[in-house]
Order: sequence, then C-alpha cells, then structure tokens
Amino acid sequence: MQNLTSRDIVKHFAGVTALSSGCLTVNSGEVVALMGANGSGKSTLCKIITGVVAPDEGQLLLNNTPISFSTPVEALKSGIAAVYQELSLVPSLTISQNIWLTREPMNGIFIKYRSLNQRTQELVDLFADTVRPSFTPETLVNELPPDEQQIVEILKAVSTNPRIMILDEATSSLDSRQVDRLFSLIGEWKRQDKAIIFISHRMSEVFRIADRIFVLRNGRTVGDFEAKKVKERDLISLMVEDAKEHLVKADATVTRQFNETVLKVTNLHTSRLQGIDFDVKKGELLGIAGLQGQGQSDVLHSVFGSIKFSGKIEIDGIENKFRHTSQAMAKDIALVPGDRAKEGLLMRLSVLENIMLPSWMKYGFPLKTGKAKNDAVITANSLKIVMADLNAPVSSLSGGNAQKVVIGKWLQRKPRILLLNDPTKGVDVGTKNEFYDLLKELCKAGTSILFYSSDDEELVGLCDRVLVMRDGKIQKELPRTELTLSSLITASVTSGEEFTHAAD
Amino acid sequence: MQQIKGFFRKKTFVFPIILFILVILTNFALQYTNLGPEKFEKRFMFLLDNNIRGFLPLILLAIAQAIVLINGSIDLSIGNLMGLVAAFLVTQYALDDSIARFLQVFIVAIGIGVLAGAFNGIFVSLVRIPPFITTYATSFVFSGIAMWILPRPGGNMPEVITTFYRTTLPLGLPMGIWIILSTMLLWLVFRNTRFGAHMYAVGGNEKASFASGVSVIRHRMLVHMIAGLIAAFAALALVLVTGSSDPRIGGTMTLDSVVAVVLGGTPMIGGIGGVVGPIFGVMTLGFVRNIVGFANVDTWVQPLVDALIILVALASPSFIRLILKQVRS
Repeated sequence: MQNLTSRDIVKHFAGVTALSSGCLTVNSGEVVALMGANGSGKSTLCKIITGVVAPDEGQLLLNNTPISFSTPVEALKSGIAAVYQELSLVPSLTISQNIWLTREPMNGIFIKYRSLNQRTQELVDLFADTVRPSFTPETLVNELPPDEQQIVEILKAVSTNPRIMILDEATSSLDSRQVDRLFSLIGEWKRQDKAIIFISHRMSEVFRIADRIFVLRNGRTVGDFEAKKVKERDLISLMVEDAKEHLVKADATVTRQFNETVLKVTNLHTSRLQGIDFDVKKGELLGIAGLQGQGQSDVLHSVFGSIKFSGKIEIDGIENKFRHTSQAMAKDIALVPGDRAKEGLLMRLSVLENIMLPSWMKYGFPLKTGKAKNDAVITANSLKIVMADLNAPVSSLSGGNAQKVVIGKWLQRKPRILLLNDPTKGVDVGTKNEFYDLLKELCKAGTSILFYSSDDEELVGLCDRVLVMRDGKIQKELPRTELTLSSLITASVTSGEEFTHAAD
Repeated sequence: MQQIKGFFRKKTFVFPIILFILVILTNFALQYTNLGPEKFEKRFMFLLDNNIRGFLPLILLAIAQAIVLINGSIDLSIGNLMGLVAAFLVTQYALDDSIARFLQVFIVAIGIGVLAGAFNGIFVSLVRIPPFITTYATSFVFSGIAMWILPRPGGNMPEVITTFYRTTLPLGLPMGIWIILSTMLLWLVFRNTRFGAHMYAVGGNEKASFASGVSVIRHRMLVHMIAGLIAAFAALALVLVTGSSDPRIGGTMTLDSVVAVVLGGTPMIGGIGGVVGPIFGVMTLGFVRNIVGFANVDTWVQPLVDALIILVALASPSFIRLILKQVRS
C-alpha cells in the first residue's frame, strides 16, 4: 500500500506566490485528478512532489514518513516518476537512448544496444497502432512530431516502473486514439496498485479516468471530491474565483456596433493551428482566450508575418502574403510580443533607443535626432513611464514600466492593427489599469486590437468579443452578451460536445 | 530518399570522406611526377607517409576538439596546451637521452596535459564560466608558461626515438596511419561505453540529461581532462617530427582544429557528430593547403586561396540543402 500526502505546501517565485496551501492525497490503486485554471499552481505542486523545485513551507509524506527530494532522481528512487509538461528529452538521441538514459543495460564497459532496443520495443508496443510505423527504438527524437515525443516521455516514466506516476498535461498533445490507449494503460496500472496523479484541463478526460478530484485555485487547494459525486458545473464554479475583486471596470455591458472589416483571416494553418477563421472590425477589441499553448501566439505571429502559415489573411479586403515582419509593419500592423525581455526589448540600451527602434525610417537621412527625441518624450509622457530619463537603460525599469516601453515603441508607429501577445504578464495592478484605459482609448480612435491574454478576467472585462481556442482551433466565439468568466472558462476546459451539456 | 537522408544525417563522416578522396586524388595528380620514378602504389604511399606525419598533431587536436564540441563545450586553449607540453618535452634531455628518460618525461607530460584539462574543466563546469571565455583565457596561461620554459625556438629530442618514429613501417604502412587506425578503433570502443553515450546526451540537452540523472558537472570536467590528455599526445606527435619546438607553435592550430571538426561534419551545436569525420577533415585541410602550394600560386596569396577553398567546403552542405529546399517548394 502506497500513500502520498502533501500538506499545506507553500512556494514563492521571486515575490509571486505560486502555491499558498497545496494539499493532495493519493493512495495506491487510485487515480487522482488535479484541476485548476491557468496559474493556479498545479504544475508547481507536481514539481515539488518530484523534487524539481523545493518547497518553502509545508510537508510531503510518503507512507506517513516525511520526505524531501532535492532532485528528480531522488524522487525516482522512491518510486515517484513524472511525465512533465515541458519535454525533457535529448532531441539528438534515439528513442531508446532517451528512455534508458543513465539506466542502460551494460555488458562490462559496453552498452548492450541490442537488449536496449529490445526493452524499448516492449515499451513501444504499449502504444502500437497509435503511432506512425517510423516510431521505432532507433528513431531520433528530433524526427518525431510532438505527440510521439510526448509518448516517449510517457514511456520514459513507465520504464522506471514507478509506484506513483504523475501525468502533468500528458494528454494535451495526444490524439484521441493515443489518449484511449493511455487510459487503458492507466487502468492496468491501477490494477497493479500504482498511484496516479493526473492533471488535465479537459473535463471529459478527468471524469473518464479520475477516482478523486482536487481543485486548486490561486495556489490553494479548495476542493476534494469523489469523482462520481461531483458535477462539472460545481467544479467550474469552484475553479472560478468569485471573491476576487474585479480590477477591470466592465463598462462594456453595451454591445458596440462595428461595420468596417479591417482584418479577415480564413482557414489559417500552421504547425500548431488547424484552420482558424475570424475577422476584426475597425475599432474592435477582439480577445483570444483559452488554456496556455493552444496556438494563440501562432495566430498573432501569422498575422504579423513572423512565422510560416498557409491560409488567407486579408487586410482591408486585400490578401497579404507576408514573408517578413517589415511587410506587416508597412501595413501599420504592430505586435507586442509575449516575452518582453527576449522579443520586446534591448535590455541594455536606453529607453529612447528602444522606443525609436521600429520608427527610425520616419526620421529620414540624415537622422533628425532632435525630432525623434521629442516624439519619444511625448510617447513616454503619455504612457507615464517612470524612469530616470530617456537615456536610462531599460534594464533599470520595473516590469510594468518596461512593458510600457514595448507598447510605446509600437504606438510610436501609430498602428491600425495592434496584436497583443499576453502583454500584462508580470505587470503590476496599477500599470494594468493604465494599460486597460489605453486600450479603450485606442479602440475609440479606431485601432483594431487582437488581444491574447492568459488572464481570463481582463478579457472578460475589456473585450467586445472573445475567441476561445483549443488544440489549434477556435472552440467557441463569445460575443459581449455571453461573455462571463464562467462561460469563458467553461469553453476553455470542455470540448465542443460537452459545452452544450455543461451550459444547459 | 528519406532513408538516404537519414543515413547522411546519422553517418556524419560520409561527406568528409568523399571530400577527402577528391582532395587527395587532386593532390596526387598534381604532385605525381615529383614523387620519384617508382611504381604507382609506392608513389602514393610516399605521399601519404610524407603528409600524415605532418598532419598527425592537428589530427589529434581535432579529435580532442570534437569530443569537447560534442559535449556542448569548446576548448580554445587546446593548441597552446599542446605548445606547452611540447616545450616541456624538448627541454628535458640535457644529460641523459636514454629511452628510459624519455618514458619518464612523457609520463610527466601526460600528467601536465590532464592537469591543464582539469584546470579548464573546473572553470567551465564547476564555476560555470562560458567555455569560450574560460579556454580563451587559459590559452594565454598555457602559452605564457610555454614561453617561460622555452623562451625561443629550440630544444631537442632523443635521436633514437625520432628515427624510430620516422623510419618504422609496420606491415609496410607508415606509423601515422597505424596511429590513426588505432585512434578510430579506440573511438569505436569509447562511444559504446556509458560515458561516451552520455557525452552526446549532455551535449544534446544539458537540462534533460541532468533531470535524467547524468552528473553533468563531473562529466564535462572529465571530457576536458580527456582533451588535455589527447593534447599531450599531439605534442609528442609534433616534437617527434620536428625534433625541437617553438613556444608559439600551438596558437594557430586551435582554430584549425575547430575548422577541421566542422569540415569533418561535426557541428558546433553539441550532441551530434563523431571523430572519424574530423580526422578526414584535418587531412582534407592539409591536402588543400598542399595543392595550393603546388599550384604555382603566389606565396602571398596562398592563405587567401586556401581560406576560400575551405570556406566553400564548409558551406557546401548548407548550400546543397538550400538548393534542394528551393527545388522542392
């Protein structure tokens, strides 16, 4: 009999509380599901259990004895294996080398490749018929599509023959046949008295497989149910926090009317996207929602011409095939990227240089630096950027102010279409509110905005319309009148068929 | 088609060998009449024997560099480390130049190589200073010590040893060839050990390897020590040919070793490649320089011409890929 309990685990990351009271119990022969909205602390809790990160407070008990792991390898030795959300494979090695890394069968000093491959074949057979024929022990991992890489990850955890197995979003990139296979394997593991912790955003999967369900909200375990005795609707309302003050002033109960279509996307495909259709009207604020990593960034990057895509993107009724971001910029499109340190800013250069970077061509040859500086001052003042002066390096600014610089550098170009890729991540509340006011003003002035955010509340508070994405498709379009936090989360976590069922 | 592509991707040494055959045949044709009036095979062997001994130090350095690069690091001190060991090797025979003395000296020399490698390894893996910076800095440490031991070109080696190395032809093949063949064999053994396999894992994805339980720090440390050991052998190969040394000799060979590795199909990104390709990379590099030397090119233009040829050779796989991509789309 195995039993794992986590009690009141607390974890802070750089001042942000990821977990304030993470509780969980799992017994052998049982599947426990862990549910929660984006950023509720599910992954952090798993990482603490497997020794990837160390908890700040709280207790972890294995068979009622306190344990603490400082590395994943230690957790493995105690029989706890995890399939992580971010893949942890070595792309340049073969499937078998990856699965048995550090546990290779040896013959003296030599690795026995033959038995290595035999053992791998046995594991690969678990997923037989659900993978392509090229999925053999000697295939290099970097030649595999994402779903098969995920399967390697699962097999790697299986190969350690764990007593407790954690599947963190392991089904997110699998197709339905592969999920079915995984579930029948989980059933087998249950009979072998293994304990399984299963994390998924998909309500239907959780109800299919889980015996118990724990709900996390804002780093706190807020519910512990028997799966048979709980309703989907109750879980969702538990995941959505009602007590939290609404920062966004939702004055948009009035549905605004739009006429002119500015951007029209038809049948957009990329490696992540599987046929996206939508249009944006002049002055409209269109939100993109959904769980993280459902292809939202791909939509924005396709429109901006920074990734390859197939399909039709029309601007003012004219089809555009952008091959480079400069072409999109010439059409007055701007993209505020998600990771500001990596894609948005030159951290060591000054505020002035950062604001001016996309706009230098406006100032001619020879450069009218004086005029450029004046314009930058106007932008900086209108955004209320708090800084020593324009020559201060961006690295000296706070997160919120740095983000203002990113927005400022694109506003400088007076875009007609503004693409926002999760712009308020790690930004303080005050700045967020200023930012919301700015978006409203821009829309009033006729700018069309495509706004992806991982913060569901701000989408609900701001947008005229929200597209909820899932698995590279638009799952649901929510007009202003139907837009509430629970309708948005419901659409994010349930698949099409269930949606009608859950909303009735 | 897919299979052919897979083969070339896995066997990175195939393209370098093709390139090598092309280059050596060109050289042979150009130099044919200069190789004496003897039979065809004898002339060919003469060409090989003459050149391989000269190439051997760089071949060994390229092997060391390849191992370090596969592991996801780089060693910019390897040439100067060889220079340091070489300087030590040629300054030890003032009174006694017996074989016993030579063996004593050589064991100490190996110790110097391994120690210097460990010195690099400590900074790279334990202190975590980027290897590019670390080994660039230590390269000056090594060349500084070399100049202190051997302030100007000179020194000497026991006659017996150098003569033996130059004139022995076991089974009719020059020593250089035997050494190359045995290093290839050693490599085959090495890469099928757990250590060898983990070298690729660490170079391919350090974080994933660590999460799987590979002790990355220890591993990278050992790889740098092995590189130092091989550099000591390279130093021996060098002084056995010249009989003396120059403290500055290693400087240019560091970058040559990197070029040869890349020319040999082992990229600088880590996690892929091997050492067989780089061995042929060095020989290709050497024969290209020979050809340019024989082609009546003005001495001043020679570096330019051989640099251009090397650039074309380096770029050709990528060019071919680009062209194929254009054709397909």
